[in-house]
Amino acid sequence: MRRKHFAFVAALGALVLLAGIAASVTHGKSEKGKQTAAPSGTVTLAGWSVSTVESALLKQVIKGFERKYPRIKVDYSALGDYDRAMLAKFSARQPPDVFYVDSNRAPTWIKQGVLEPLDSYIKKAKFPVSPFYSKLMDAFRVKGKAFRVKGKVSARKIYGFPKDWSPLGMQINTEMLAKAGIKAPTTWAQLRSAAQRLKSRNAVPNGKPICLAADWARILAFVYQNKGSFLNASKTKATVDTPAVKGAIDFYLSLMKADLLDIPAKLGSDWCGEALGKEKAAIIFEGNWLVPYMVEKFPDVGYKTFPMVKGKQQGNVAYTVAYGIGRNSKNKEAAFTLLSYLVGKVGMKTWTSKGLALPSRKDVKPVAGRAAFLKAAPYARPWQFAAGFDKVMTVAGNEFSAVVEGKQTVSAMLKKIQDEANATLRRGG
Amino acid sequence: MARSGRGLGSERVREALVGYAFIVIPMFSFLVFSIYPLFYALYISRYEWGILGKIEPLGLENYRELLRDDLFGKAVKNTLLYTAVVVPCQMALGLGMAVIVNQALRFRTFFRAAFYFPSLASSAAITAIAIFILSSDGLLNSLLGTDRAWFADSDTALPSIMGLNIWTTSGTMMLFYLASLQSISTDVYEAAAIDGARTWRTFWKITFPLLKPGHFFVLVVSVIGSLQLFDQAFIASGGGGGPNYATTTMVLYLFQTTVQDFRFGYGAALGVALFVLIFTLTLIQRLLFGRTEAA
Amino acid sequence: MATDETPATPAALTAEQLSRADEAAAGRPPIDIPGRERSAVTRSLVVYGLLIAVALLYFVPFFWSVSTSLKTLPETVGFDLIPDNPSLKAYRESLTSFNFARYFGNSVFIATVVTIQNVFLSALGGYAFARLRFPGREVLFFLVLGTLMIPDELRLVPIFQMLTDFPVTHWSFIGSYQGFFLISLVGAANLFLMRQYFLTIPRDFEEAAKLDGAGYFKTYWKVMLPLAGPALAAITILTFQGTWNAFFWPLIIFLGNEDLFTLPLGIFQFRTQYQTFWPHLMAASVIAIIPIFLIYLFFQRYFIAGITAAGVKG
Repeated sequence: MRRKHFAFVAALGALVLLAGIAASVTHGKSEKGKQTAAPSGTVTLAGWSVSTVESALLKQVIKGFERKYPRIKVDYSALGDYDRAMLAKFSARQPPDVFYVDSNRAPTWIKQGVLEPLDSYIKKAKFPVSPFYSKLMDAFRVKGKAFRVKGKVSARKIYGFPKDWSPLGMQINTEMLAKAGIKAPTTWAQLRSAAQRLKSRNAVPNGKPICLAADWARILAFVYQNKGSFLNASKTKATVDTPAVKGAIDFYLSLMKADLLDIPAKLGSDWCGEALGKEKAAIIFEGNWLVPYMVEKFPDVGYKTFPMVKGKQQGNVAYTVAYGIGRNSKNKEAAFTLLSYLVGKVGMKTWTSKGLALPSRKDVKPVAGRAAFLKAAPYARPWQFAAGFDKVMTVAGNEFSAVVEGKQTVSAMLKKIQDEANATLRRGG
Repeated sequence: MARSGRGLGSERVREALVGYAFIVIPMFSFLVFSIYPLFYALYISRYEWGILGKIEPLGLENYRELLRDDLFGKAVKNTLLYTAVVVPCQMALGLGMAVIVNQALRFRTFFRAAFYFPSLASSAAITAIAIFILSSDGLLNSLLGTDRAWFADSDTALPSIMGLNIWTTSGTMMLFYLASLQSISTDVYEAAAIDGARTWRTFWKITFPLLKPGHFFVLVVSVIGSLQLFDQAFIASGGGGGPNYATTTMVLYLFQTTVQDFRFGYGAALGVALFVLIFTLTLIQRLLFGRTEAA
Repeated sequence: MATDETPATPAALTAEQLSRADEAAAGRPPIDIPGRERSAVTRSLVVYGLLIAVALLYFVPFFWSVSTSLKTLPETVGFDLIPDNPSLKAYRESLTSFNFARYFGNSVFIATVVTIQNVFLSALGGYAFARLRFPGREVLFFLVLGTLMIPDELRLVPIFQMLTDFPVTHWSFIGSYQGFFLISLVGAANLFLMRQYFLTIPRDFEEAAKLDGAGYFKTYWKVMLPLAGPALAAITILTFQGTWNAFFWPLIIFLGNEDLFTLPLGIFQFRTQYQTFWPHLMAASVIAIIPIFLIYLFFQRYFIAGITAAGVKG
């Protein structure tokens, strides 16, 4: 029966092939399951790609941790395409144990149920929450109705601890400032007149006085200064289509129309930091991340950081990233031990020692020269909306670019964004 | 294949079993990854579905939302506009180049290689090259004496992608048409010559109509490909579909909804709606232009 | 095409058509179209001139990218076609610091695996549908063709869900190569092509094998498969190119796992992270294009045959 033999061999071979594929997959799964539940073993730590300096600092912190807790090993990896890599890991229910949580991703991740609530671990380890700036903590806390964990329902659930932060500051090219013979502006009116002086004195021959992207991530600071906001305090309604918000946008557009301001793309740059470095702008509004960039890319350009300007009130945006633990993590106890060290006094001190980031704890002093940023700590609001707001931000970004191109009116844009935001809020994200 | 003495019955059974054995893996692949997904998508579209699975049943709410969705409308409009421009251009260019390459010319192989070359490269490489050449201080601007940021301006972003894809895909269409041209029997031309027809007339009155199967095939392939535009729009816009929604295509919107927004239920509904759209368009094409083909 | 995979609805790929493609590939012109007027010298010069201009136009972007890849970053601002000091620095750095050597290796790996699976399975299946009789054969074949109508949009969500949480077994294939290999086991178009080709082979060969006492598989493996050489070659080339250039499904399935990235994903990632490193980006693009270009140069005949076969309707 040779013909039958061959045919069945072929089919059998096919099944073996398939089984082999499956086996290699399940084998991978069972290996992870070998970890124990005691605070020992291996903990995976993941973040996005960072510069070599930051990477070295983080490794230093990890080394300090491993010395203190010799029974726990840390497996750190920097993921390239962070959001997508995390999606894959969440979907496969194999997340890293500890990982970065961006404040703007937090609401969605919390709602999707991929973050582990930390309250029980905080209680057990008696880890103090008060040293952290409360506005930053709020970005990773869910108030009111919360998810159940092990039968307990608490009024506030903490899903992460901020590891650092930065608000926006105002950076001005010192040479150009001197050439225009002015002092750094502190109000909107002064900002306009400073720009006008820079222009009339031709202090920025290759560009424009101000570089400011048509990006809600920057404009929001001005909106806050004009007493406006995207959402109301309880995050149940969108407040985009209001005179306060319109006023901020109109201010931005008026500066652009008066030839005092431009977006990075028109200044031959990918972002305003590059424009400052290429000396195509005198005044920009960026955060602490500008410092290592300028040191590395444009060390010869002299600039100074001033506090953000003030509108009707002080207003600023706080960009912050937290460490969180995966809901499907296999080693949560050890993970929390690592997390608490990373954001603890010692860990954070090491991490912020080179001034690449600002500490999010009140009891850790930042390096010198960051006073301009720290001034914003009391009133800076976290860069965050509500769950499922990615599409709203896509709409907001597209509408804004249309307004800048002159294809859309400000009122129409604001209404559109508000409608989309309200629809998302109604849906629950 | 029967040895003498074997009955016909068991031989047929044997052959059937071998047949099934040969096709078992391909059929498994088609059933699991093409047929089953159709039904699974319908199932998922009736739920709110997140990263970790089902969240809550929604009935037909996702579809109702689809009808109200502005961005969905924009995505469909962009894709249809893109298709309406690219398909005729690709076909015309492909046919033109095929006719040229089909002539008794010297260096035909060189010309054919030159016209087909852009089709060889991957969309990522091509888009990277295009972004460079079309940048505000890039080659195209210097040749034209302008300084537009072609991909960053909502008026020129989609047209730039149109031009890009016409350039890369017309070569493939040329090859399809070439095959069609070469299958036309030369008797036809002899007859035309006897009747005293001149070149241009010969082409329009005789060649063009005889290419109908080629036209139909190129049309279908071109339309289906254009309706699924993703790679170039994604890479050029960095995933945002802008500026001002200009590069938001149907597949890109689907990608944003699922991989970026984690709304898999709504994404499934989108997929179903787009499938219906494509299916209908293909059906219409078949009715209008096709006839019962071997496929 | 918007996607890089092989064309959707092909038709018969007969031995005769392949040989005609041979002719075309060899540069021997098919029979002159009678009745066409002989062009005057000037007219043909104009025509040639125009053709060369268009051909050059098609090539210019590639010339430009090669030229840029040999320059240094400050030089790219200018518009000289020939770089001042051509150097392979951008290539060296792309391959090492920017990981393109690994992406290249990955591309080779997945293109090879997918091609082998595809050729093996589509030939097997194509032969069965062409020459073996079993109940339901026509229905099943119709089903196979039907899958060509199901677009990627529809498959994205369900396949993503299946790969993260496979039905019944709860295996996870996302972020790995297994998932991609699994969904690319065999293409309906390839299977169709093989079936059409097997249909054109005279039955004499199988009869002879039968008389020699060969079983089904042996007949297939030792007799029919070798006869299908041209079709196999065409499928090999097209599948290899399609997988080499694939972007959408690798993006979805490898999902951020940089170690697995292929050249297209690497280029995309590079563009996102280091927007204006033009020489390196161009070097990466050239690295991505060269292998396929070389394959095209040496195996033109099969390329053309495969694609033209798809376009010919009997």
